[in-house]
Amino acid sequence: METTGTRAGDRMNVQVAMLVPETVTPIKLSRTPRNVSTRADQAASDARYWNTQMVAVAVDRDREAFMRIYDHFAPRVQRYLLGLGVAPAQAEELVQEAMIRLWRKAAQFDPARARVSTWLFRIARNLYIDSVRREPNWRPVEDALDVLPEETAPMRGTLAESYVEQSNLRRAIDALPALQARLVRMSYFEARSHSEIAADMDMPLGTVKSSLRRAFGKLRASLEAST
Amino acid sequence: MTQPQHHLDDATLASYASGALGLPLGVAVATHMRLCAVCRERMRQADAIGGELMRQQEPAPLSLSAREAMLSRLDSEPVDVTEQPVAQGSEERPSGPRTPVDQLPPELHPYFGDSYRALRWRMLVPGVHRVRSRIPAGKGDLFLLRIASGKKMPVHSHAGSELTVVLKGAYRDVLGRFGPGDVADLDSEVEHQPVTEPGEACICLAALDAPLRFPGRLARMLQPLFGI
Repeated sequence: METTGTRAGDRMNVQVAMLVPETVTPIKLSRTPRNVSTRADQAASDARYWNTQMVAVAVDRDREAFMRIYDHFAPRVQRYLLGLGVAPAQAEELVQEAMIRLWRKAAQFDPARARVSTWLFRIARNLYIDSVRREPNWRPVEDALDVLPEETAPMRGTLAESYVEQSNLRRAIDALPALQARLVRMSYFEARSHSEIAADMDMPLGTVKSSLRRAFGKLRASLEAST
Repeated sequence: MTQPQHHLDDATLASYASGALGLPLGVAVATHMRLCAVCRERMRQADAIGGELMRQQEPAPLSLSAREAMLSRLDSEPVDVTEQPVAQGSEERPSGPRTPVDQLPPELHPYFGDSYRALRWRMLVPGVHRVRSRIPAGKGDLFLLRIASGKKMPVHSHAGSELTVVLKGAYRDVLGRFGPGDVADLDSEVEHQPVTEPGEACICLAALDAPLRFPGRLARMLQPLFGI
């Protein structure tokens, strides 16, 4: 089923992408400026690769494309949930649940609006709140928000620009000062309040908040700049 | 409805995206986001940051049986075809027997029901009414306040984080005018004295993760009335 021109175009890309060996960025590379820009280019091609896999799932219910997504992302979602303190067996159940939700809802995936990593992060975070923190009202709220449109900046909106966003984001993460990078990771991966982080780091709450604001502002700005 | 003018703080967005925000503040964030396309876009960016950070992590191995189990589930899983992405620019309209004017935002239905008319307001002081929500004890506080027009609230600051989302009417304080959809995202550094505008009574959702702190004597006397 090809409903839009964008999807049809992507479907052709799917076939091209399948001939290319899987290109996934190694996590740790030395940080010379040349490598940073290589990483950034890599980020765009990764994002494009995973989106084409996702479109293949959405359009053709392509099981192989889905399992490629599974093999790459499921162990990372597992790492994320373990980091939040979820017991290994429960984490594995939640990973399966997150992946199945991706399979079921693939038709809603809009490659111009989201990326596979963003989707999976959202799903995993909400499953964590829902089942580990036992706040079952959360998921319906999030599902409702999912279908509302976002404010689209005039420069945003095309698929190519969305891939550039991804490279810019990765570059901005690499460029964060050590303390800001640490605070951002603590905030995302430990799901701890700012006061808990402040106590843990032995820093004033105001300093934690202002550092996080600065870091976050830079990362968000990298997603808005599309050149 | 005009677009909200007062938005969520970046630090609050980061907390929400990471799942660290407690229930009351999370409900307030979701209520504001329904009314604010700008903050929905900012939240999309916050989730994109989380997704990228998650992707950069070292993978944690899954059990071998997990992959097999996944493959066999694919055959039996139904496919969601009912929901399609909403087209850009179209806003969801609440429908049903009640007029939209009487409908509370859907995020609040589990805590307050769905109808403004059915709310059971209790008077705190003349001109100020409150409905508390049934949220689990120890998770902070979530309530609706209805403040008569032209009313001045006591000066106060907040010991923890507070989010106030205006649902109807408007008020002013040192930070400006807050109308429907606007969120006041304050922490303990801010001391404020909201004054409601003439006209319609102001109804706000207030979410707290820690008690209010009133500096003055009169305000301290009022504090027990807020019940926190």
